[in-house]
Amino acid sequence: MLRLFVANLRIILRNRQGLFWALVFPLIFVTIFGLFKFDDMGSSGVAVIDQAQDNVSRALVENLKSIKFLRVTEEYTDEATARQKLQEAGDDVDFVLVLPRGLEESLRSGDPKALPAKVTLVYDKGNIQSSQLVIGTLSQFLQQTNMELVQAPELLKLQPVPVQARQVKYFDFLLPGFVGMGVMNYAIISMASTLAVWREQKIFKRILATPLSVRSFFIAQVLAQLLLSVVQAVVIILAGVLLFRAHIYGNVAWVFPIVVLGNIIFLNLGFLVATVAKNLNAANGLANVVAMPMMFFSGVFFPTNTLPGVMAEAVRYLPLTPMLNVMRGVVTYAQVPWDWPVELAILVGWVVLTSVAVVRFFRFD
Amino acid sequence: MDAVIQVDSLTKRFGSLVAVDGVSFEVKKGEVFGILGPNGAGKTTTLECIEGLQKHDAGRVLVLGVDTRHEPEKVKTHIGIQLQASAYFDYLTLTEILELFAAFYPRRVPPVDLLQRVGLIEKARTTVNKLSGGQKQRFTIAASLVNDPEVLFLDEPTTGLDPQARRQIWEFIRGIHKEGRTVVLTTHYMEEAQFLCHRVAIMDHAKIVALDTPANLIRRLPVPYEVHVSCAHVLPEAELKALAGVHGVAHENGNYRLQVSDPTQTLPALIDCAKGKGLTLEHLEVVSATLEDVFLATTGRQLRD
Repeated sequence: MLRLFVANLRIILRNRQGLFWALVFPLIFVTIFGLFKFDDMGSSGVAVIDQAQDNVSRALVENLKSIKFLRVTEEYTDEATARQKLQEAGDDVDFVLVLPRGLEESLRSGDPKALPAKVTLVYDKGNIQSSQLVIGTLSQFLQQTNMELVQAPELLKLQPVPVQARQVKYFDFLLPGFVGMGVMNYAIISMASTLAVWREQKIFKRILATPLSVRSFFIAQVLAQLLLSVVQAVVIILAGVLLFRAHIYGNVAWVFPIVVLGNIIFLNLGFLVATVAKNLNAANGLANVVAMPMMFFSGVFFPTNTLPGVMAEAVRYLPLTPMLNVMRGVVTYAQVPWDWPVELAILVGWVVLTSVAVVRFFRFD
Repeated sequence: MDAVIQVDSLTKRFGSLVAVDGVSFEVKKGEVFGILGPNGAGKTTTLECIEGLQKHDAGRVLVLGVDTRHEPEKVKTHIGIQLQASAYFDYLTLTEILELFAAFYPRRVPPVDLLQRVGLIEKARTTVNKLSGGQKQRFTIAASLVNDPEVLFLDEPTTGLDPQARRQIWEFIRGIHKEGRTVVLTTHYMEEAQFLCHRVAIMDHAKIVALDTPANLIRRLPVPYEVHVSCAHVLPEAELKALAGVHGVAHENGNYRLQVSDPTQTLPALIDCAKGKGLTLEHLEVVSATLEDVFLATTGRQLRD
């Protein structure tokens, strides 16, 4: 039994094409999505031209820097260069903010002719969305500064209450998705095609010719696959954390039992695919047909609640969806698996259902 | 001699098709027993029922005194099985495969010994898909010996091989037999059965139609011999037919073939006849009938090769 387990591991590790699907394929996704800076897309570069260089202008610039989605730079000293940068393609300068000479003086003088002091914002008309956002923010910012300067009592104040304590980046959301996707794809496709090949080559029959029970043969096979899925999870998570600074908030150890639980379902699906498919090509094709929809609809890339209502409810019952939900809960929101009782129930239900189907229908000759 | 295998009224059906129909025979300890017949005669099914790979519908099979239907695992521990065209794991080396299979048995032979015996020791670290057809076949036989079996089953061990590779396998099977193992093999090559087997069961349409030693099977034919002879002059056919023990005559370009029941009677008569006419006989030879002729005589058909 142990020998068979080791032999199965050897077979798995020497099958380059299989290993590609197991490790390289999900790592490609990790790399691609790790390289794109999704969360920086919303930030805007603001070049500040501080012509005043006095206390008021300094204070304004410092306060501006505290606004999260603005990348404030004082690299450019004259307006013309900064405007030129704005017109050039590239995303370092999206806005030019000019603080006029003698800002503090005009404020102190209280001279109605000099007031209000004009702060100029140059922006790109084509960039509608971020223009609106930045103009709005800056107006509000100046409004507030006004109030403080005239020392008007604050009558109304918006108190924003953050619903999510953590800044979960898109990549953090994706990483558990890639673990689930990698494990699922590999399990279904490799199991189905391996079984198809072994049946075609009469390897099952050869095993049957020995005193070894068929049950031990398949148990060794499944155990080797389960071990590999844990390795997959480790490699994918390590790559995400070490190479692309993904954040793990919860106890990462919970990932592994969830991966194993989910993988039992996928391996069973592989068995069922091999039951229906008559040869290797059919098995490969059918395995993809089973895996593809889950890859796209089970929330690997997007939360399933962005789907239309009925669909969101339906995909909830695909085996990959609850697996991803529980994994994300554990990894990203520091929960424990039983914070997701319904999802766990769905997973266990699939394990039972598919196992019964495999025992009932799978034939090795 | 003890019977190692006892098959009694073995019947196996696949749906409405009767693959094996009430077959009975015994295999004695230490013999090479052949099941001979055309494709589809039921040879492989018979073998697999004996091995415990398939459950038979009726009848009883004892291997080494153990009922294969009730205790297939026990039977499998003591027998070696080589299947028709069974490949082995693609990504394991020959040594690894042998080690793996040996692990399934209580009694084991070291992989090195097995590979040495089949002349594949220098291929120990390669995979099966890199072997030639003959090497592959030798390897599958080696693999069926991992448990040092008392009885070895070979299902068409030389099908698809070139004559030289076939010879090699034959010698190898003889070697296995010399070690005191009982060998049961199926084949549809007459010369293979004749060369290797002590006794042969001829199967056709799910039944055994003849069972004996090759020599006895042939001897029991009405015309077990042919006398071939050439002559520069015409030998009158009627006179040849009248010679003692001759059952029939065919001739072509001065080459004559006489169907003969007893060459010891026919030959002197033929030579006398030629002497009396002052003719010289050339290329005189006595050819024994083959199992092919036995098959033809018992089934009325040629064995499809």
